[in-house]
Amino acid sequence: MKLNEFIIPEDLKSAQSALEKLGEKGFAVAGGTSLHFLGIVEKTAVDISHLGLSGIQKQGGAYLIGATTSLGDLMKFKDQGWVLDQVALHTSTQQIRNISTLGGNIVRVFPWNDFPVALLALDATLYIEGVAEKAYSSDDYFNGQPIRLFQPGQLLTRVEVPVLKPGQGFGYHKEVRLHAGFSLMTAAAVITVKSGRIDGIRVAASAGIALPARLTLVEAALGGQAADAASLQQAVANGTAALAWKGKEGMSDEYAAHLGRVVLMDVLSAALLQAQGE
Amino acid sequence: MNVKDLKVVNKSVVKIDSMSLALGKPSYVADFKPADTLYVKMLWSPHAHARIVSIDISAAEKMPGVKAVLYHGNVPRVAHCTAGQGYPEPSPYDTFMFDTKVRYVGDRVAAVAAETLEQAEAALKAIKVEYEVLKPVLSIDEAFAEGAPIIHDEPDATIPIPVPYEPLKNLVAHISMEVGSLDKGLAEADFQFDRTYETQYAQHTPIEAYVAQAYLDPRGRIVIVTSTQVPFHCRRIVAQCLQIPVQQIRVIKPRIGGGFGSKQEVLLEDVVAMLTLRTKRPVFWEFTREENFRTGRTRHPIRIRLRMGVKKDGRITAFGMEATSNTGAYGGHGLTVIGCCGSKVLPLYRADNIAFLGKVAYTNMPVSGAYRGFGATQAFFAAESLMDEMAEAIGMDPVEFRKLNHIRSGEGSPVFEALGEGKKGVPMTIGSCALADCIAIGAKEIDWSRRTPWRSKTGRYRRGLGMCCLMQGSSVPEVDMGAASIKMNEDGSFNLLIGATDLGTGSDTVLGQIAAEAIGTTIDKMIVYSSDTDFTPFDVGAYASSTTYLSGEAARKAGAKVKLQILNTAAEMLHLPVSELDTAEGWAFSQDGQHKLSFSEISLYSLYQKNQYQIMDTASHITHKSPPPFSAHYVEIEVDTWTGAVQVLNYVAAVDCGTAINPKLAEGQTEGGVLNGISYALTEEYLFNAKGKMINANLTDYHIFSMRDKPPIKAILVPSYEETGPYGAKSVSEICINGAMPAIANAIHNATGARLYTTPFTPEKVWRAIQAL
Repeated sequence: MKLNEFIIPEDLKSAQSALEKLGEKGFAVAGGTSLHFLGIVEKTAVDISHLGLSGIQKQGGAYLIGATTSLGDLMKFKDQGWVLDQVALHTSTQQIRNISTLGGNIVRVFPWNDFPVALLALDATLYIEGVAEKAYSSDDYFNGQPIRLFQPGQLLTRVEVPVLKPGQGFGYHKEVRLHAGFSLMTAAAVITVKSGRIDGIRVAASAGIALPARLTLVEAALGGQAADAASLQQAVANGTAALAWKGKEGMSDEYAAHLGRVVLMDVLSAALLQAQGE
Repeated sequence: MNVKDLKVVNKSVVKIDSMSLALGKPSYVADFKPADTLYVKMLWSPHAHARIVSIDISAAEKMPGVKAVLYHGNVPRVAHCTAGQGYPEPSPYDTFMFDTKVRYVGDRVAAVAAETLEQAEAALKAIKVEYEVLKPVLSIDEAFAEGAPIIHDEPDATIPIPVPYEPLKNLVAHISMEVGSLDKGLAEADFQFDRTYETQYAQHTPIEAYVAQAYLDPRGRIVIVTSTQVPFHCRRIVAQCLQIPVQQIRVIKPRIGGGFGSKQEVLLEDVVAMLTLRTKRPVFWEFTREENFRTGRTRHPIRIRLRMGVKKDGRITAFGMEATSNTGAYGGHGLTVIGCCGSKVLPLYRADNIAFLGKVAYTNMPVSGAYRGFGATQAFFAAESLMDEMAEAIGMDPVEFRKLNHIRSGEGSPVFEALGEGKKGVPMTIGSCALADCIAIGAKEIDWSRRTPWRSKTGRYRRGLGMCCLMQGSSVPEVDMGAASIKMNEDGSFNLLIGATDLGTGSDTVLGQIAAEAIGTTIDKMIVYSSDTDFTPFDVGAYASSTTYLSGEAARKAGAKVKLQILNTAAEMLHLPVSELDTAEGWAFSQDGQHKLSFSEISLYSLYQKNQYQIMDTASHITHKSPPPFSAHYVEIEVDTWTGAVQVLNYVAAVDCGTAINPKLAEGQTEGGVLNGISYALTEEYLFNAKGKMINANLTDYHIFSMRDKPPIKAILVPSYEETGPYGAKSVSEICINGAMPAIANAIHNATGARLYTTPFTPEKVWRAIQAL
């Protein structure tokens, strides 16, 4: 990415107006840590890092997270039903977390991105604001490159994540070679347990598959089943058989598939334990 | 000598350049870039093996900002070796500044110098090259196969020393030795082993990439400022390439941001010098990280077959090693690295029947070269893995097995005489050796007594303990030479000029300490300067674990000579015999305590007052032995048997480097080397496509351990006193990198029962080895 101009708008409306005028030649930047991956193109940057889009608020049964909230702030925030700190903790280094933003991690999605998987599992809602605000479920939002949903001048402004309730558990795992490395396999799961059975399940994976996606076959295999390790094992075995796992960094596809199943078992087990109050 | 009596040596004084580096003061090559410099970009070969049928630079020459374009048609064709070793080099002259053939992806095709980097890059695109693509040779097996493509078919590729060199067979070097009879030794054994190990490519990844600049001084001499480990070799090789006298060239080495052996090569300096001559302008060239990986030097991948025999009582009856390395497209360091597989490893354990066979293959792969450890790293992985296998076979604890067999003080090895570097070796008896102490101290520190057999372990996560023993060398005997000059100033300070090159290792500090100790002054009075071929005395450079031992002794000798001059002057001033005087902490004094003079008074007297002369002297040093440092490494790991991931939990390196001149720096060397070794063992590897192009030439996809990944590492310095070294010192820099790979391999076996023969130990390899049990 080569920046030929850097615009610092006074407010959100000015930013949207500038981006609308620039069209293909402009792009919004907050943390700026993913510019390296965007190829050699000339763009005008519109700085949206100081437009009041940062912060985390708890409202009712959800957390409202500003799109330019830094990953460092996500990591520092603590609350009973808050789990994104676990995701942020495993993202890159503290220096990067201090400037990289949630929006930057999910507006353009690479296979190794950390948050899409977690937001899919958590059933988050994402808000894009243009003339009016439009809400997208995480399923719709991540069903392809999110950038397809944005018209010139539109910005991701906030993300709504449900508060984890008693009886629910969250599991997240990112497999890396080194601490600050990109993910080789990421998975996340939210399990709801009721009367000893799995009452709700959302599980997603990435890195080992092309783009972040829910694993609906695993979910279908688990729904209503006994909340135990055997159910998880069977669901993972049956629900991932048709997945096209892709090895990278020297890993064979066969090993990637094996690793994917291990990681899924780990996140499901963690979610189940938490849901069972352990 | 009692080390406790030393005033400056064996003290952890602060590294003398640490503050300026910490403050970001201009220190490195790129910090001294002239304002009117031209920038160099190189057109690299996209093919692993091809002839250049035609090349048209005319359009590039007319591009905006372009001042010169070099290619094979407009530079001298001089066969040379890029490796900065002795002279004549024990490596083939198989490289040309530019050639009509390219031999690996990343080989030189043409260079552009332009006003800006962007203009130079644009000009590269205007160079039209027609290639005849040839079948590439991508492995050792392909290189030696019947009818293999010949990589160096040019008639002017030669080797300057009388050793086997058969480029038409893709054979760079071939060496062998046998003492006793390997077959007989194997026949006598109760247990025989025949194992083959394979190690991988790796890159040094110094923070500072390869970088050099050149400019003309007012008298028209070429000044090259470069990040090099070998300034004097650099001067000689550039003179050879440009066909100009050495006198016309000055090489300055500022601070270096790491080398680890990679900068023991002349990869940029000939081009910047030639472009400066052509343009009369300063020229600057810095490799990108991708260029560093693809075109820079690497660690030799080596296939090592070991045949060993052992008696039930633990005596080793046969130790046979066949090592075949892949030197890539050019053969610098090929012979010497393969030789060190044998010479640095075989002597560690006593055996009556020893055999070594070393072969080096040309391939169309990245070029291997010097890398900390220099063949011993690869061979110790093999040897120390098999030592554990043998111990298990005879039912002996691996520590006890090694204690039974390792070489000791007063013992020799026929290998020392049989295997030298490019020639026969030098007979040697081990002087100092604290390996037994290293083994005991390390075992206690890691608590080796808790080690249990792998068969007793269950569950997903299994822990294992592993260890290994190591030796290296200290300089190349009767080959390497270092020198030092010391000059006294009016205030009692001293200029220490050394050709030895501090790569960030702290050798300037260490040599300053040695000289200060010898003179009888304090480290803050030493102004240490390295290196400038116009001003500092000759030194072969920083390699072969030589600086402290070799250049350090030169500094000690020079210091002793200067001390004598100081005492003579003091004697004249005090009207006392020299024999009644001594020096300490910047003072000359009579031993009865009645008289004393400051060094400043002495210097002022010698320069201004009577019988004036400059107190200064120079000393050179060569070595007649290469005393090995010894070390025992221990590691505790945890294996996730479901994924194969290995986590290092704890690492202990007990090292005998003789007297540690600066204990903190020696510990730092050890910790850094261990971390580098862990990284090599677990994560670092070159990945290639089917055409021999590296596909992970960046620090995102090529994984090196950072401080964030560092496990607890305890470096323990175990003192010994090497009589031939300065104040008892031996080397410390290389030995520490050799232990992680075998120690971790042995720990993986102890944790899981899986034995790994190929590196690195990626999760997939470990998982598959566990599955195969």
